[in-house]
Amino acid sequence: MGTPPPNYSGSVVPPPPAGATIVHEPVPGRVVVDNLSKTFGTVRAVNNLSFTVEPGSVTGFLGPNGAGKTTTLRCLLGLVKPTGGVATIGGLTYAHIPNPITVVGAALEAASFHPGRSARNHLLVYTAACRLPDRRVDEVLDLVGLSSDRNRKVRGFSMGMRQRLALAGTLLGDPRVLILDEPANGLDPAGIRWLRGFFRRLADEGRTVLVSSHQLAEVETIADRVVILNRGNLVRAGSLEELTAGTDSVVVRSPDAARLADLAVQAGKQVAPGGDGVLRIRSDNTAEIGHLAFTNQIELHELSLERFDLEQLFFALTAEAAADQAPGSPPNALPPGYPPPGYPPPGYPPAGYPPAGYPAPSPTGGYWQQLQSGPGGAG
Amino acid sequence: MIGLIRAEYRKLKSTQTWFWLLLACVALTALLVIVQLATRDDLGTNTEAVRDVFTSAYTAYVPAFVLGILAVTTEFRYQTITPTLLATPSRWRLITAKLISYALVGLVYAVACLVVALAIAVPWLGSKHDVNASFGQHNVWTALLGIAVIVTLYGLVGLGWGAFVRNQVVAVSVGLIYVLIIEGLLQLIPYVRAVYKFLPGAGAQAIISPHSAYGPNENYQLLGVWGGVAVLVVWALGLSVLGAGWTMNKDIT
Repeated sequence: MGTPPPNYSGSVVPPPPAGATIVHEPVPGRVVVDNLSKTFGTVRAVNNLSFTVEPGSVTGFLGPNGAGKTTTLRCLLGLVKPTGGVATIGGLTYAHIPNPITVVGAALEAASFHPGRSARNHLLVYTAACRLPDRRVDEVLDLVGLSSDRNRKVRGFSMGMRQRLALAGTLLGDPRVLILDEPANGLDPAGIRWLRGFFRRLADEGRTVLVSSHQLAEVETIADRVVILNRGNLVRAGSLEELTAGTDSVVVRSPDAARLADLAVQAGKQVAPGGDGVLRIRSDNTAEIGHLAFTNQIELHELSLERFDLEQLFFALTAEAAADQAPGSPPNALPPGYPPPGYPPPGYPPAGYPPAGYPAPSPTGGYWQQLQSGPGGAG
Repeated sequence: MIGLIRAEYRKLKSTQTWFWLLLACVALTALLVIVQLATRDDLGTNTEAVRDVFTSAYTAYVPAFVLGILAVTTEFRYQTITPTLLATPSRWRLITAKLISYALVGLVYAVACLVVALAIAVPWLGSKHDVNASFGQHNVWTALLGIAVIVTLYGLVGLGWGAFVRNQVVAVSVGLIYVLIIEGLLQLIPYVRAVYKFLPGAGAQAIISPHSAYGPNENYQLLGVWGGVAVLVVWALGLSVLGAGWTMNKDIT
């Protein structure tokens, strides 16, 4: 961008366009999802969902696959009609925002391109439709690092390049609200790092950035706030500090663990004993626990801080809903009739496979096991 | 609205579809005009036969129809409908812009066909049949104008059909089967052929049929020229209204 974009945090509230119904208080850049519901056939994709996204922050919109994230965003953008409730941006539903591309930049999937059209021509369609100057196209292509590929057809683009092109499209109108569905998918590590800095800069300029993702570690480094969704229901919303406050543990290992546990309880701490002389004491201060042990002459073999990170929080919070399922039908159960009879075929796996020395699957680690075991895996 | 029409123009220009369909229009026109010229032996004596040479060019409506279908369904096929509707949430404004844009494109297609028809027929008639074909004679000008109207309006009928159906494969295949096969069968079925005159194909026939050497058809009746124009306009707008007001408002997921 040639000139730095205006700082939106101090914007004056513009008068609403004639004929538009103001649904919520018209705060520029604020996204309000208000009691939103959407039913597809018999599936309740979004269920009485309410949350607010304030300007000047990066908000992570989290949930497992099928939680209703994309449906919520599509309702917000007027592409899906809610069964109930309303979602607004700056107090207006999307259809009522005048020249919406200059207010909201949204990218819902990185596949919304005609394969035979070049990156530049793709964007030129939208500058024409929204009466934006065509030079914006080259500016946003520069911003996302696609300048040298501007005249290539999208057909030959990698997933990461498509993500960048989608992002470029959202920036055309220099909008104060950015809504991005899984923007980090397909980006290489350098691209993800770049994206992080990019979101931070946009939020620091006073814009609203709402980023959906199922990659928790990713969101943890990007987002200030998170909205966690599971099976169409709001699980938690708040800042990362709020959500993880008071959930850190100090891990100590001591031959005299029982006495240390008593002392910690007396000091008003929650203590979870693990076997083999290990204790988990709910605290974020290793010095405090070390001091407690030292003054009582208790020998310590380990003293460390265990952060309760977003991933653990996420599994803990979404596990309740998983437990609601009828026993015998875990969420990822195979449909009846699977595997078909005769499968796997006899002789499979072949003798000598897996080769000797190949590590057995880890009994504790891994995403899959954590999904299966729910909160228990989170310790 | 000017911006939206420019956006449609840029969409069309930036892929190759327009070129191949224009080529199809021109090739069909050339083929049919040449077949008429080569097979009719009454061209030197029958002025209405001369006019039929020109009206045979109206078959170019088929590629124009397909172009209209693609105008909307390509957006659904490649999901560009999402950014398009994010830029222009009003389905009515979008469809209006597309109708205006594709009316202009259809006119360009029609003119290209007419130029080809004239370029082939006029010298041929002059040298082989000693017929000096000019706009004023043989009602040639009504034939040319009629073709321009049919090719343009059929593009808009396709556009409305595409907006109504949304799915590209279904819209193109069902649309072509109807236009090329089913409509021709309907005129043979008793009772059904009573309403045949209100179908798009009959509207197109009504526009060019007066003064044809083939004479009136006994199986079915046609409306007048203006009635034929009205039939095509009503189909184009009616399907567009159904598309913008109903099917394009359905969830886009």
